[in-house]
Amino acid sequence: MAGWRGSKLGGGGGGGGGENLSPTAERHSSTRTVRLGKVQPQAPGHRTVFCNDRDANALAKYKGNSVSTTKYDVFTFLPKGLFEQFRRVANLYFLMISILSCTPISPVNPITNVLPLTLVLLVSLVKEAWEDWKRFQNDMSINNSSIEVLQDRNWVSIPWKKLQVGDIVKVKQDGFFPADILFLASTNPDGVCYVETANLDGETNLKIRKAFEKTWDYVTPEKVSEFNGEVQCEQPNNSLYTFTGNLIINKQTLPLSPNQLLLRGCSLRNTEYIVGTVIFTGHETKVMMNSMKIPSKRSSLEKKLDKLILALFSILFCMCFLGAIGSGVFINPRYYYLRFDQSEKQFDPNNRFVVAVLTFFTLITLYSPIIPISLYVSVEMIKFIQSTQFINNDLHMYHAESNTPALARTSNLNEELGQVEYIFSDKTGTLTRNLMEFFKCSIGGEVYGTGVSEIEVGESQRTGSKIEVQKPSKVARDKGFNFDDARLMRGAWRNEPNPDSCKEFFRCLAICHTVLPEGEESPEKIRYQAASPDEAALVAAAKNFGFFFYRRSPTTICVRESHVEKMGKVQDVSYEILNVLEFNSTRKRQSVVCRYPDGRLVLYCKGADTVIYERLANGDNELKRTSREHLEQFGSAGLRTLCLAYRDLNSDVYENWNEKYVQAKSALRDREKKLDELLISVVRDDIVLCSLTLPYPKAQLVKLFQIAELIEKELILIGCTAIEDKLQEGVPACIETLSRAGIKIWVLTGDKMETAINIAYACKLINNSMKQFIISSETDAIREIEDKGDQVELARYMKEKMKHELRRCHEEAQQYLHSASGRKLALVIDGKCLMYALDPSLRVMLLNLSLNCSAVVCCRVSPLQKAQVTSLVKKGAKKITLSIGDGANDVSMIQAAHVGVGISGQEGMQAVMASDFAIAQFRFLTELLLVHGRWSYHRICKVVTYFFYKNLMFTLTQFWFTFETGFSGQRFYDDWFQSLYNVIFTALPVIIVGLFDKDVSSSLSKKYPELYKEGIKNAFFRWRVVATWAFFAIYQSLIFYYFVVSSSNRAMNSGGKMFGLWDVSTMAFTCVVVTVNLRLLMMSNTITRWHHISVGGSVLAWFLFVFIYSGVSLNREQENVYLVVFVLMSTPYFYLTLILVPIAALFCDFVYMGVQRWFFPYDYQIVQEIHRHEVDNSRIGLLEIGNNDLTPDEARSYAIMQLPGQKSKHTGFAFDSPGYESFFASQAGVYVPQKAWDVARRASMKTRPKTSSHKN
Amino acid sequence: MNSSTPSSSAGGPGSADSTGPRRNSKRPKYSRFTQQELPACKPILTPKWVISTFLLISFIFIPIGLASLFASRDVVEIVHGYETDCIPEGSRSDKVGFIQSSLDKTCNRTLRVPKEMKQPIYVYYELDNFYQNHRRYVRSRSDHQLRSPKSERNIGDCGPEDATSNRMPIVPCGLIAWSLFNDTYGFTRNNQQLNINKRDISWKSDRDRKFGRNVYPRNFQNGTLIGGGRLNSSIPLSEQEDLIVWMRTAALPTFRKLYGKIEVDLQAGEIINVTLQNNYNTYSFKGKKKLVLSTTSWLGGKNSFLGVAYLTIGGMSFFLAMVFVVIYLITPRQLGDPSYLSWNRNPGGH
Repeated sequence: MAGWRGSKLGGGGGGGGGENLSPTAERHSSTRTVRLGKVQPQAPGHRTVFCNDRDANALAKYKGNSVSTTKYDVFTFLPKGLFEQFRRVANLYFLMISILSCTPISPVNPITNVLPLTLVLLVSLVKEAWEDWKRFQNDMSINNSSIEVLQDRNWVSIPWKKLQVGDIVKVKQDGFFPADILFLASTNPDGVCYVETANLDGETNLKIRKAFEKTWDYVTPEKVSEFNGEVQCEQPNNSLYTFTGNLIINKQTLPLSPNQLLLRGCSLRNTEYIVGTVIFTGHETKVMMNSMKIPSKRSSLEKKLDKLILALFSILFCMCFLGAIGSGVFINPRYYYLRFDQSEKQFDPNNRFVVAVLTFFTLITLYSPIIPISLYVSVEMIKFIQSTQFINNDLHMYHAESNTPALARTSNLNEELGQVEYIFSDKTGTLTRNLMEFFKCSIGGEVYGTGVSEIEVGESQRTGSKIEVQKPSKVARDKGFNFDDARLMRGAWRNEPNPDSCKEFFRCLAICHTVLPEGEESPEKIRYQAASPDEAALVAAAKNFGFFFYRRSPTTICVRESHVEKMGKVQDVSYEILNVLEFNSTRKRQSVVCRYPDGRLVLYCKGADTVIYERLANGDNELKRTSREHLEQFGSAGLRTLCLAYRDLNSDVYENWNEKYVQAKSALRDREKKLDELLISVVRDDIVLCSLTLPYPKAQLVKLFQIAELIEKELILIGCTAIEDKLQEGVPACIETLSRAGIKIWVLTGDKMETAINIAYACKLINNSMKQFIISSETDAIREIEDKGDQVELARYMKEKMKHELRRCHEEAQQYLHSASGRKLALVIDGKCLMYALDPSLRVMLLNLSLNCSAVVCCRVSPLQKAQVTSLVKKGAKKITLSIGDGANDVSMIQAAHVGVGISGQEGMQAVMASDFAIAQFRFLTELLLVHGRWSYHRICKVVTYFFYKNLMFTLTQFWFTFETGFSGQRFYDDWFQSLYNVIFTALPVIIVGLFDKDVSSSLSKKYPELYKEGIKNAFFRWRVVATWAFFAIYQSLIFYYFVVSSSNRAMNSGGKMFGLWDVSTMAFTCVVVTVNLRLLMMSNTITRWHHISVGGSVLAWFLFVFIYSGVSLNREQENVYLVVFVLMSTPYFYLTLILVPIAALFCDFVYMGVQRWFFPYDYQIVQEIHRHEVDNSRIGLLEIGNNDLTPDEARSYAIMQLPGQKSKHTGFAFDSPGYESFFASQAGVYVPQKAWDVARRASMKTRPKTSSHKN
Repeated sequence: MNSSTPSSSAGGPGSADSTGPRRNSKRPKYSRFTQQELPACKPILTPKWVISTFLLISFIFIPIGLASLFASRDVVEIVHGYETDCIPEGSRSDKVGFIQSSLDKTCNRTLRVPKEMKQPIYVYYELDNFYQNHRRYVRSRSDHQLRSPKSERNIGDCGPEDATSNRMPIVPCGLIAWSLFNDTYGFTRNNQQLNINKRDISWKSDRDRKFGRNVYPRNFQNGTLIGGGRLNSSIPLSEQEDLIVWMRTAALPTFRKLYGKIEVDLQAGEIINVTLQNNYNTYSFKGKKKLVLSTTSWLGGKNSFLGVAYLTIGGMSFFLAMVFVVIYLITPRQLGDPSYLSWNRNPGGH
């Protein structure tokens, strides 16, 4: 049927009928959803679902609702798992070697190569199986959670997995939707329900979904069993925000929109239960189709490791090549006792070329241990334990308040954490708590509020003036209110010098806002739903001052005022709201015109100081001056400020103005339809989607603003508020530590420039001594061109401008860098400029400039730009990057960076799901990077270089031997020795080092953050380091080989008897095992019991093995080492060699270590020496400190006030939460995509249906 | 991503007011392992340690080195190469032809004892350029067959000397046995025969465990190509000590093997006449043959390598200890001097 696709979806959104397709269709602005135009069907055709009719649906063979996220099942595990394993080059290489070693070419028994490979595969497969088993259990618990389904007029509980397409289900409050469900009816009267989508997109606000009126009554099982609709809809696809289809009931076609679709993964809120019919099940649900395979990241060290392996391959190749040539030359029938003849191709003296080629392969098998097969699996094991045991269990990274421990979601990147040079951080929710607290205020020229902000604390610590931090007095406070001043509380303001100002101040707070109250109308229980937390904080403040805003209807605001008439008197006052002049980024202010019950007409206005001061009435300059001073004071304390003002209106002026205003507003509404189409065309393009400023009907809006201007003038200043955009605990300290560690931090935020700079100041990213480069698009020239609306012209101009700006900044930056002043540089750039600066032609310049800056702030950036900036540094500068964020908008950035860190413990999951590590607090980065990352890096470097050394050395001894065997490829060691060398005799200690080695303790790691720079410079895995190890490997192999072999043609005991080949080689092998294990001890910084056990154990294991192995006859064809060890041990020569050779071999290393440590010490070694006498109990002690919130304390506050404060040239102001503008835009009747806030507002209105008549 | 859904429905990330976190705290449990606080000693390689380690090494190594050197010096060794001298003048242009002919290979040599040699005096033959460690050679044996008569047909890797042309297994099979060394030596002093004891010249474990008492040579050297010595097929392999010695393949292409023992003392200056049968063909591959008479010490034969190595390492240790002492005195560095930290050395330098 073609109808469904052809049907216009234009009129389907709201409560209106599907038939009404006229462009002027009346719609509720708030209930519409974004329609992204016609969805391109992902699969041809559509699906038809017969509701409540399993038999009819059975024909279509829809997939069941059980999901499986496992990689394997019982049958596919082995083939698929093995396939996965052999996709690794190293494993494939060893498979080939193993196959080679089964041919007669091989000098070694196949066991030599098969055994280690098998062990390695076994370990890997067991790990895979275990992880898959966990996934399976998880799936099972999901699949078996129960859901109520309609069966024979009754609700029957069945497990999720039994659910089928077309079933009618009932989902209860707080329940999760088991599949993608078409919403039919809810217990709410107007057929709406509220949905939390935190699992989907991280947004914590409730979304509203609305059922068709026609289906509203299908609530009871009796009624719903009569339902026999038919749904025709698109095929399953992964687009979360689109859905098209038709519902056909009683021959009536209702067009469906995403508004009726309840997605799996979301949960039901504020609704007793809903009834729906299942549309998509199991893996066909949108969330499952969306479940992204997180691209697996590999650490850069691992990539370098690949290069090292490659180098080893080439060494191997050279060795084999040399040997092959040698064998071709050597082969000669004159060695008659070797019987070279045609019978064996490899020993055919008439065809030297074939001999050489075959010998080449022989030697490859012989030298195969040069590639450390167990390296990958050991490193993986180490990293796995590091992440699951150390990072996940670190008490320092456990956040008690949110009950969240750190989580390493991948174990691939541990050591990458030790090399991070650039951190890209989101602001809201990451640096800040996204918690605005009313902190201070200035009323009529008087400052109130005794708090000390985080930045002031930091400042005082920096300047060294110690202020006693007292334990917080646990006073239960409202969210958003962190204010303490007896002069204002509990009506005390009446005794202040200017009680009238106070009254206006409080009223302004209580009236001039767009907050919605939710819940019971009592001061304790009420909750404020606000577009921005700033607003909520202000209203909460008013409440605490005795002006309790408790009810809003479209035309009134009800405030319970205390102490106004006289102390202790409480009265309910209802103010009539005549106009709301909304906030936006150009206006930077918000006004409300209200009428008092006594008829007084007042305009209350709050906004940024700059715009308010411009509009103040003349006079009272003293107040303006002191308020300005206070604003600056607040600003430098990192607080966000707002000025409050009011204006008494007389009714003539007002009516006059209102007429014009209403006119302009309705003109705007007519534009809606056109705009709709514009949006559809625009929204597909990500970039434009992100900068939502475009689709406004510019001219009309500007007109509206201009009219608003007319009344917002001649204001009278009341005072100003200071809100603390509460930084997360310890953020400034953390940032300072990180920057001392050589890490550069960039803040990428969607916030406005002023806010971003404010926060950058607050968290010490920028300070006044820095030279700041600000590249902003908020200039008059740009605005002018923007207003013309010519996009091409704008782009051209912007590009020119950017080029110019970047060049200028870059030149200036060079001057500063070369001058002696040593001023640090900071760059602030906004998203629009960034868009052009990221152009390929300018990118290099931008990169050069920003790399010279020690701090970079990008504001107003879209998620895509965040990712672009990240990859600019990642790819352009080839530095290790880390992104940290908490929200869905950070996902792209988190995935783009080398390491992605999500802030967990809050409600959104999106960032965490995309991240590699999840921590609860920004400050845990110190721990994660400086302690875990640094240790991991050290350890992995040690492990890798050690592996390199031990295998190279081992193979080289073989290589030297080859020269003395006529290049025949005869093995020096017994098969079993060789195969167990890697997997038993030298395997465990290196893992112990990989787990336990600590150069300096965790507290010292944090005390000396500069130590981290060694990781950034990659000081421990440079080619120079590798070359050093290679040198020692060569030296040692020569010692082993020649020292042991040199006297082999002399009698070895007083009986005059001689050693044979196997005696010599067993002796050499013993020396190798002992030496390699000792070498490991030498390189350990800490030696725990486990080191002793593993090193001792390995040596012991060797002796044990050799006694058993050579003590029993295995009845093999060739028992080369049968009884050899007893022969060896009967000679004094053996013991003398065993002492001599390891010491001679390690002699050089020891000298090197001594010289290096004394003359070219690494930083960590110096730190070790400084603290050599200290016991490492630092961590236990640290646990006690931590969770103390800093409380306002008068004395301390006073002390800070006395400090020589720096006046910052900027003042912050509030109102910048994303979503804010859209809210007001929709109030103004301007169509913008639905935002979370919009929904929440409706959700709150629902609680009191009587007031929920939507204003329109 | 929806993995967390059902669990959270049980009381997970709902709004803050719903469930208290106390109920199932995710606080990691403290253990020394997970918090990485295992007790450990943290050795620091201070100069004190370096110097004392060096001194310790030298104090241990120098005496051992001296002892080994003295032991080696006490050993008296006579080495006599005869591969050219035992070819008649006329045949020296075609040594291979001579050695492969059936001419009489008897050769008389005289040795002078340089110093007194206490019995037992070990007689060795030394071959050069003989690759007993060649891959084709080493594997060409069957330990089964050597040990037990039942495994006679176990001739896996022995080719081409595994069986006769009529498919009878050769015992002992393989190239090693086939190329058995077959020069013989007889010694006379003052025309008086010196007995050569050929018992106990192989490792006891070889005789007892590797070569069977009831395995007798069969079909040995019966083919067209004769590689070397023959074996008396009436003597079991465990008593054929020449073979046992030979079959313990040497590690290097230059090797000595024990031929027998002379169990009388030899005085300094005595002349020993050697009557040798120069049978073995080393001429094809230009290998040298040497006859060696040597006494032993507790350490074995004449072997100054070990002593020298010990002395060298010990001496170097001592020397380096002194050097380090001097260096530390000249350019002292205070232990844990913060000014050595890189960020203190060039402040501000990024």
